Amino acid sequence: MSERASDDAAIRIEGARKVYRSLLGRQKEAVKDVSITVKRGTIHGLLGPNGAGKTTTLKMLLGLVRPTAGRFEILGDDAGSPEARRRIGFLPEQPYFPVHLTALQAMRFYGALAGVPEERLDSQAAELLERVGLADAVRAELSRFSRGMLQRLGIAQALLGSPEVVILDEPASGLDPVGQRDVRNLMLELRAAGTTVLLSSHQLSEVEAVCDRVTILHRGAVAAEDHIDRLLDVEGKTAVRARGIERLPEAVAAVADDVAFSGSVWAFSVPDGAVRTVVDAIDDAGGVVLAVQPKRESLEDYFARLLARAGEEVA
Amino acid sequence: MRSVVTIAKAVFFDSIRRRILLAVLVFAGIMVALIPSLPDYGVGVERAVFGEIALAVTFLASLVVTLGLAVTRVPSEVERRTVYAVLARPVARWQYLVGTWLGTFAMVGVLVAAFVAVDIAVGAAVYGALMWRLALGALGIWLEMGVLAAFGIAVSTVVSPVTAIVAEAAFLFIGHSKATLLGAEGALALKAFYPSLDAFNVVAPVTHGTGVPPLYLASMFVVFVGFVGMLLVLGAVLFGGRDL
Repeated sequence: MSERASDDAAIRIEGARKVYRSLLGRQKEAVKDVSITVKRGTIHGLLGPNGAGKTTTLKMLLGLVRPTAGRFEILGDDAGSPEARRRIGFLPEQPYFPVHLTALQAMRFYGALAGVPEERLDSQAAELLERVGLADAVRAELSRFSRGMLQRLGIAQALLGSPEVVILDEPASGLDPVGQRDVRNLMLELRAAGTTVLLSSHQLSEVEAVCDRVTILHRGAVAAEDHIDRLLDVEGKTAVRARGIERLPEAVAAVADDVAFSGSVWAFSVPDGAVRTVVDAIDDAGGVVLAVQPKRESLEDYFARLLARAGEEVA
Repeated sequence: MRSVVTIAKAVFFDSIRRRILLAVLVFAGIMVALIPSLPDYGVGVERAVFGEIALAVTFLASLVVTLGLAVTRVPSEVERRTVYAVLARPVARWQYLVGTWLGTFAMVGVLVAAFVAVDIAVGAAVYGALMWRLALGALGIWLEMGVLAAFGIAVSTVVSPVTAIVAEAAFLFIGHSKATLLGAEGALALKAFYPSLDAFNVVAPVTHGTGVPPLYLASMFVVFVGFVGMLLVLGAVLFGGRDL
């Protein structure tokens, strides 16, 4: 085993760059300089607005697009090598399949390409179709599948051959809320089983719910990368929720930020140092403190703020 | 090898489901059945003329099908992005192209076999003779279609289907124009290098002569393998450098 293979990186992208050239010689730099390391057994989110370079980066990793520069490794092997490809599963964004096939035939086809032994093709295909909620549609032709069913099939085919690394490009696209929840649970199950998941998504709530670490791309470069808690926790602030009071006590109102009142529940944030005073004040006013926890920004807010800041820097 | 065979099978069964193939087969069958009713049949050469026209119909019908299958397959898979889920697996691009070609070639083989079966059946019904030599002519057609399929697939990896059809037509014309372009006597030095598809044209010896010698058949296979190999390598190089 090489030194690299022994480290805990499942995916390593270093200095990825992609320049598209038109026939007239015009250049467009889709990816400028992207480096990402995804640890084994984690769910890593890849975020960014449209045109940020997410899909191009994934395509370079999968060998679908030729990189202008950069190094791409999967589980210590060159990402383009058959060894690496055998260990990954990929769900493309809005996957399409040959529509004349049945779900089982499609799974057999992709299973054979993934190297699943012939005698295990049917059982593994049936098992995965059931896992993604398509047990009743095994013999249905894909031409009759809804958008959500095709998405589920796409997820199932990505899991053929029990890959150690799964790359999902917008897995919740086209799914109803139940389907989105199923996908989230599936990703968590994969992580629990030791599988590494690289998730590219626009659904920030999905990323926030499942990802251990996040990389945010903007204009072809990494704008931020960190553990999701470190990205979102607001240093020095605590979030408080309380009820049973008609208005905030003066001692609370003086230090509270982001105050909201809904359904008889107050929600606000206070400096860490004022938590004891605030809790006592609410107690004295006859209220009930429901929750006291570190203040956490929503990923949506963080994302918007980051992009706005990046925009200002460019301007 | 398993990847190539898996892709070839998928291409074959996908092609066989297309209704256009059935339409071409029925149309060609009707045309062959009507050949004996053509008015300017020469007395004494009916069988030979029937054989020539039957093989010409077989050639044209096969050409239509080959063009339709070969030049549209790769562009449509790239456009619909079905190719992503294939090439993200341990499948090299050349394997994808070879599998696509193999599936197309097998499909055209089934079609040519069906055509020649109709030819021979009509011949037997009308003239009372089993014209089995037509099968040799059909073999030549099938091999030529294999070369055309390889060319179409190779070119269609980088251009649109319409452009690929135009290029295919040019390739077919040039491939059959050795005598016209180089002359019977002139440009002898070029002749050895001219990529001629005439090697597969055995209609005359099949319909008017005594058949095709085994050595010629063997050399026909060598030309076929050379052409197809070269074109698929070209296709793999072109496709390998392309962003999807």
